[in-house]
Amino acid sequence: MSADGAAQTHAQSQKLLELLGMERMSLSSKPREAQDSTEKWMRYLGFPGGILLFLLILYLPPGAGLSASAQAGAACFALALVWWVTEPFPTYVTSLVLMFLLLVTRVANDKTIMYVLGMDVIWLNLLAFILSSMLVKVRLAKRMALWLILRFGKNASHALLAFLILHMALAPLIPATAARAVMTLPLMVVVAAIYGATEDSNNNFGRNLLLLNLCGISILSSMTMTGSAANLIAVGMIQTMADQRVYYVDWVKVGTPIAVTTMFVMWWVGQKVIFRIPKDERVPQLEGGLGLVKDQYEALGPLTKPEKKAIAIFSLVLALWMTDIFHMEWFGVEISAPFAALLGAVIVLFPRYGVLQWSEAEIPWHLLIFSAGAYAGGLALDDTGAAAWGVKVLFGSFDLKSVPFGVAYTIVIAVMMYSHLLTTSKTVRTLIMLPIIITLAKSLGWNPISFALPAALCIDWVVGLPISGKPNVILFSTNQYSVGDNFRYGITACTVGVVLLVLSAMTWFHWIGLTPAFWATAP
Amino acid sequence: MRSLAILVLALACGAAQALEIRRYETRIDVDRDGAALATASVDLAGAAAGRFRLPVGFAKLADFRPGEASPGVSLAAKGNADGAWVEVELPDGVPSETTLGFSFRANGVLFVPKPEAGQKATLPKGSRLLRHRFVNTQEAPIARYAATVLFPPEVIAHRVNEQLPRPGRKEFAPRVELDRFDGRQGARLQLANLRQGDRTSMELEIVDERRSAVWLLLLVPLAAGYLFFFRDLVRPPRPS
Repeated sequence: MSADGAAQTHAQSQKLLELLGMERMSLSSKPREAQDSTEKWMRYLGFPGGILLFLLILYLPPGAGLSASAQAGAACFALALVWWVTEPFPTYVTSLVLMFLLLVTRVANDKTIMYVLGMDVIWLNLLAFILSSMLVKVRLAKRMALWLILRFGKNASHALLAFLILHMALAPLIPATAARAVMTLPLMVVVAAIYGATEDSNNNFGRNLLLLNLCGISILSSMTMTGSAANLIAVGMIQTMADQRVYYVDWVKVGTPIAVTTMFVMWWVGQKVIFRIPKDERVPQLEGGLGLVKDQYEALGPLTKPEKKAIAIFSLVLALWMTDIFHMEWFGVEISAPFAALLGAVIVLFPRYGVLQWSEAEIPWHLLIFSAGAYAGGLALDDTGAAAWGVKVLFGSFDLKSVPFGVAYTIVIAVMMYSHLLTTSKTVRTLIMLPIIITLAKSLGWNPISFALPAALCIDWVVGLPISGKPNVILFSTNQYSVGDNFRYGITACTVGVVLLVLSAMTWFHWIGLTPAFWATAP
Repeated sequence: MRSLAILVLALACGAAQALEIRRYETRIDVDRDGAALATASVDLAGAAAGRFRLPVGFAKLADFRPGEASPGVSLAAKGNADGAWVEVELPDGVPSETTLGFSFRANGVLFVPKPEAGQKATLPKGSRLLRHRFVNTQEAPIARYAATVLFPPEVIAHRVNEQLPRPGRKEFAPRVELDRFDGRQGARLQLANLRQGDRTSMELEIVDERRSAVWLLLLVPLAAGYLFFFRDLVRPPRPS
């Protein structure tokens, strides 16, 4: 190795050590550099491409039932989507452009757009980042990450598996996906750094780690019907509209095998096919390897007082997140996820007895602005009826009257799965899609639950874009992957899900009486 | 004698309470000038001889024309400062299930609200409002009410400003549905089970179907300018 090469490796190792020290664990707002010539061309053509799509949608002849504001909203969202994916601007600048466009095209008024910054999801992000800063400052995150690596991280594949198992354990306990994302984010950043993935120098381990976590957080919520509020809404709709009760165990029987199998498939496919991890990146990239990790871990010594405080505060917040269904009975009021985090933040920042000062809290405002723009765009699509119109047109374009059950089922599942790209709210998507699916099943002569329950399992699979869900926004802030990477990985996961749901309808779902024979024709 | 009187009264009340409006549909065909021709069709069940006021959801009715109905059924447009209604008189021997029909013209269905003195305009130039409010002012419940508004050619709804009451937890259809009716853009307000005093309403902003070319004139040069001024993004690096 030349002297220059050795110096470069040493410098990189020093940088990783700094990161491991967590002093620089900040979520940078600087724009991500284009990685190759394809990305450069995407950035160059993305700007006019977004404008072209905007004009095309805006000047299309009005569709039946589509209001002018819905059409304009779809045009604005399409422009922003192209710019978010191709990144001619940083994503938060695109969000600001989108907010301005929504106003001047009269899709939404100024208050509606600006109030988005006060939404519970934005507050949850802000407060959760204060808690996350606490974990970083007291070095608890470092301790946990080093332990994780020493225990499971001898190679990349095991490190990824450790996170997958962690999320399988957390998902049934903490329904709030953003909370799970924030809890595990510092661990992800440190483990990624140990394997040489930083925001300045992305690699395939980092992409796999962050995107596997992203999928784990969202998809594993579909293991149980209490995994998200939208799941419960779907269960309510099935009971009201289809007059069929879905019990907890019914959901687990169909939801858990699909979600868990998909995650194991993605764990393997991610590192072997989508973002193949080269052999030399499959081991920790620190100079000194695992020995250094062990030294660092031992240097931490026993738990310090601030660490114990942090554990106590985080446990309190965690307990409130996990017990939300009992709050009304216990306290006479429900302490929602943002308010549980708010209580934690108050204790964290408490003068003299807290563990953090405001100036030490790492709050990524650029991320909050990005989220606000994304939610403003998503809300505009929902409020103007553009999303509902799109779904109706999509279903209306298929003639499902004369096809066997399996064909109609596959189309319904695919539309439900990929429709998350059109909206930013699981709840709104459920409210739009489930009634249509139940009505469709009835009109085709099938038992509504045979379409509705498998479709409801897709509700939480919001993994296609950084704006598709709360955890997506949080994990995207690490700058470890591009919008294109997210799309590629997320759509693969969704496709695996569709295939598994279709295979299940041919076998497992049919055996337990949920679906009729796959090739059966309508009675 | 007293018992007999109570029995007769009870029977009379029973007959009156049995009247139900199964379906009340109004088609409102709006002209370019904002005036409209409304055609209503009302299915009654449990009809008996008597008189009642049928609400119409308009302030004034002009050119009122009763449609075909059972013999002896009389319909007349009435109104006062509070609004207009149709006075329905059902003769003896009217079939229990009867359909009423009538049409009328109404002005100002599309309108531009005038701002109060010193207040800012709330609508851009070219936009108009369409407002329809219906209150069930009579005793008989209305099982299904629907008002379908057909917009004049070459205009569309910009947005639905108001749709009341908000759909309940068990209602999955929107209160106001935008769609194409008989080949024309329009909106349908619908509500089921209106008891006396229940109301439903919609307000839409109506705009020209053709979009202003301003976006085209603004954004095409901007895109072209970007391609020119940012061409260095994809220029191959010069050899040093």
